[in-house]
Amino acid sequence: MSDIKEVLVPDLGEDSVEVIEICVAVGDSLDAEDSIVTVESDKASMDIPAPFAGVIAEICVAVGDKISEGTLLAKMKSADESATDTDAVSGNEVEAIPEVAPESAPVAEVSAPVSETTSTVTSTIEVTVPDIGGDENVDVIEILVAVGDTVDVEEGLVTLETDKASMDVPSPQAGKITAMHLNVGDKVSEGSLVVTLETASVAASIVEQTQENSVPVTTPVEAPAVPAPKAPPVPHHPSAAAIQPSGKVHASPSVRRLAREFGVDLTLVNGSGNKGRIVKEDVQSYVKYELSRPKLTPATATTAGEGGLQVLAAPKVDFSKFGEIEEKPLTRIQKLSGPNLHRNWVTIPHVTQFEEADITEMESFRKEQNVVCEKRKLGFKITPLVFMMKAVADALQAYPTFNSSLSGDGESLIIKKYFHIGIAVDTPNGLVVPVVRDVDQKGVHELSKELMDISAKARDGKLKAADMQGSCFTISSLGGIGGTAFTPIVNAPDVAILGVSKSEIKPKWNGKDFEPRLMLPLSLSYDHRVIDGALAARFAVHIKNVLGDLRQIIL
Amino acid sequence: MSEIKTQLVVLGAGPGGYSAAFRAADLGIDTVLVDARANLGGVCLNVGCIPSKALLHVAKVIKEAKHLSSHGVSFGEPTIDLDKVRDWKDSVVSQLTKGLSGMSKMRKVEFVQGLGKFTGSNTLEVTGDKGTTTISFDNAIIAAGSEPVSLPFIPEDDRVIDSTGALEMKDIPGKMLVLGGGIIGLEMGTVYNALGSQIDVVEFLDQLIPAADKDIVKVYNKTIKDTFNVMLETKVTGVEAKKDGLYVSFEGKKAPAEPVRYDKVLVAVGRKPNGKLVGADVAGVSVDERGFINVDKQMRTNVPHIFAIGDLVGQPMLAHKAVHEGHVAAEVVAGKKHFFDPKCIPSVAYTEPELAWVGLTEKEAKEQGINYEAASFPWAASGRAIASDATDGLTKLIFDKDTDRIIGGAMVGTNAGEMLGEIGLAIEMGADAEDIALTIHAHPTLNESIGLAAEIYEGSITDLPNPKANKKK
Repeated sequence: MSDIKEVLVPDLGEDSVEVIEICVAVGDSLDAEDSIVTVESDKASMDIPAPFAGVIAEICVAVGDKISEGTLLAKMKSADESATDTDAVSGNEVEAIPEVAPESAPVAEVSAPVSETTSTVTSTIEVTVPDIGGDENVDVIEILVAVGDTVDVEEGLVTLETDKASMDVPSPQAGKITAMHLNVGDKVSEGSLVVTLETASVAASIVEQTQENSVPVTTPVEAPAVPAPKAPPVPHHPSAAAIQPSGKVHASPSVRRLAREFGVDLTLVNGSGNKGRIVKEDVQSYVKYELSRPKLTPATATTAGEGGLQVLAAPKVDFSKFGEIEEKPLTRIQKLSGPNLHRNWVTIPHVTQFEEADITEMESFRKEQNVVCEKRKLGFKITPLVFMMKAVADALQAYPTFNSSLSGDGESLIIKKYFHIGIAVDTPNGLVVPVVRDVDQKGVHELSKELMDISAKARDGKLKAADMQGSCFTISSLGGIGGTAFTPIVNAPDVAILGVSKSEIKPKWNGKDFEPRLMLPLSLSYDHRVIDGALAARFAVHIKNVLGDLRQIIL
Repeated sequence: MSEIKTQLVVLGAGPGGYSAAFRAADLGIDTVLVDARANLGGVCLNVGCIPSKALLHVAKVIKEAKHLSSHGVSFGEPTIDLDKVRDWKDSVVSQLTKGLSGMSKMRKVEFVQGLGKFTGSNTLEVTGDKGTTTISFDNAIIAAGSEPVSLPFIPEDDRVIDSTGALEMKDIPGKMLVLGGGIIGLEMGTVYNALGSQIDVVEFLDQLIPAADKDIVKVYNKTIKDTFNVMLETKVTGVEAKKDGLYVSFEGKKAPAEPVRYDKVLVAVGRKPNGKLVGADVAGVSVDERGFINVDKQMRTNVPHIFAIGDLVGQPMLAHKAVHEGHVAAEVVAGKKHFFDPKCIPSVAYTEPELAWVGLTEKEAKEQGINYEAASFPWAASGRAIASDATDGLTKLIFDKDTDRIIGGAMVGTNAGEMLGEIGLAIEMGADAEDIALTIHAHPTLNESIGLAAEIYEGSITDLPNPKANKKK
């Protein structure tokens, strides 16, 4: 029988992306990996492919919708199952969907007794903690259900409390609790198992309905193993949550009002007064303490005030007073990457180290090799960038501090044991940074090929989110255009970035004479919280040495 | 038709409404106040709290004068000039409403008289004696109050009155039935009884003033047993209007077998919110089927720029609650991050003697499973009460035994309402029994009974036998 499967948005590596194009129509027959919709994120646009071959039964999003992981994208009739499709199942949920299967299929008759299946068809889902705003190790403060309880959709299962709010984890579906995996006091994070829920399956109702039509049917399959959509946690009404029953919080009306003004939950404040009474000073010092606590979440780090960044508003200028103007909106990538660049610029103490590498030998070697490549019709050219990537990977291995990120609490350094390098690529839509993985393990040819592919994808706006994640270090090369040096902005959470400008033949003193050498200007910006100046100088010299003599890499 | 554009319109000029409007004006907000009455003050000032207190004052003096005969001073039977009593009551009302209107002008709050109804989420139409006014506003505070509930089975007749009718004082009925043993019915019963009416009270529940604790009401019952005929657990099944009177039939525990003739019937069975009368739905504000409007702790309705306060946002329907809610709403409109966040709201029945309670009652403490202890000081042990001929009284404090902190208090007796403020302050400040017991109360006062009740809880009482004396060696 026909089975409509839901196509959910896969992990995009983005919180929310906008649908900019619907690539299919209801009734279209798709192969696996054919695009269903095109979405655009702050980095690039990308297509979301069909997870399996089939026929589009329903499209559940529209252009302009914001979608994220788990959003219902479309309903598809999978190809293998549409082959056994039959009219007999009219009356189930398929009825509402236009019959679009290109070929009509024979009725599948089976002898399985229907009555047996109707009562037993249930499915079990594991309910996990949904996205709780990035908080980790959140306390379970209350268990709201017990094994055997029947819950409705959205009914609270457990109550979690962060330092900001308490919230209930709602049940994604109606059903019966068959197992409880948490206790009060447990610490949970997104994805932690909460309960096992036995849900009444859709298939059960299909069976009943088809029975009425007294048509032979196939054994109903279990409800499609689609992960239950994660309902967002429901925060308690902020004011309702803060209201304390009389007698619980020892604070006078004026202190309670002050607490309200700052949004302070008085149950979290220690009273310094007689018998634990909370006095105004307690609220004030609590607020001071909360403000001084490091808050390194991206959302708060850029907020004016919280990070202590109070700047004058830019003056408003009517430029048309001075001449003809045209107003052009920023591209999407510009709009979205702007705040990230701004955050990185103001929150990371930048220092830029300048260096020059002698690439005379490298360039002659590269040109020789490109002649070989052409002869062998390898289909790619070796660019100077590939050697720079190899040199950087080598330097990262030599100086692991450069291959790190600062931990969220600013207390430790996370050293990476992999060597993925982001390459800033200029595209018609704006700057994107695709990532080449495991540069240390790849040869020059492989990297050249990969670089060519990825650059083409970037220019066509076909990069997927995964293509742009996981970088350890970024190279921004403007060498093809010009310039003698520049100060690149560190691409957080990386701690350093290498800017490359245009190489130039310069007279270099070899001890006896001035010799014409091809010199490549390098600009290494780094996060001074993590890397000190001497280390940066050594790192830059290491790159310069490798580029000056590529044999260094094999040492 | 005139048009007004304003930052804030307040619909209803009762205590909640005018307080909101004045507070908003003081915070620099351009404010328009709308009310169907020509005078500010709403039900409370015009036909509620204030005129009833004027009449209760009269009643109290009559009663006390009469009582004094047993202590050797006789004034003789009072002669009552009803017109003069009414004039005095009216003068009290007009003095206050004039005062309000002066303060309104001083604050440049524009008053528009007429019935206001929303015509959109930012417009209100007021139909008044001087025509129609359209008000477009940025923010609105709905403070349209409540009105007495009328009973469908009771015929329309001049002799059937509600609290408003009772305060008009057209005459002094020989025999009056008070339908409903709550605060309003008993207050008006007290007035008419002092003026000479014979009063029957019928209450469906098993206690007068059902919200108060039984021990408090018991003291009250004792003082009225000779003046009021109270029929508890009894209900009225029909009222027949005849020429010589209203014939009321009863059913229940204390029901007389035959219908009883009354000159007047005062219906005082409660008040219903006016949420449905202002076209709130047109503005997008949801009103429940009973006429209440739901608000959050900042008095905001489901429409973010429209607020509601007072009787129509829920119980208790009390002027002092509305005033505080009105302040919060105005302050929120002015951008302040304030919340309506009291620990307790006091209730007072201005009967003779008065009943007053604040915070949790014992009933509520029990329901909430609180580990509490009540300490009661009987006024028979108070020198001032004895000297003032006011020994029918009781002061009760309720403490949380886990923290010794006060969570409620109730008083019955002369001037109980005046003394309740101390208990409310103690609850809000989180005072415990020791704090209250160690606060020196003046002697001899009735107010002293609060300190003494706390001493009973503490086990330090000396004005009564001390049951805890031996435990605290």
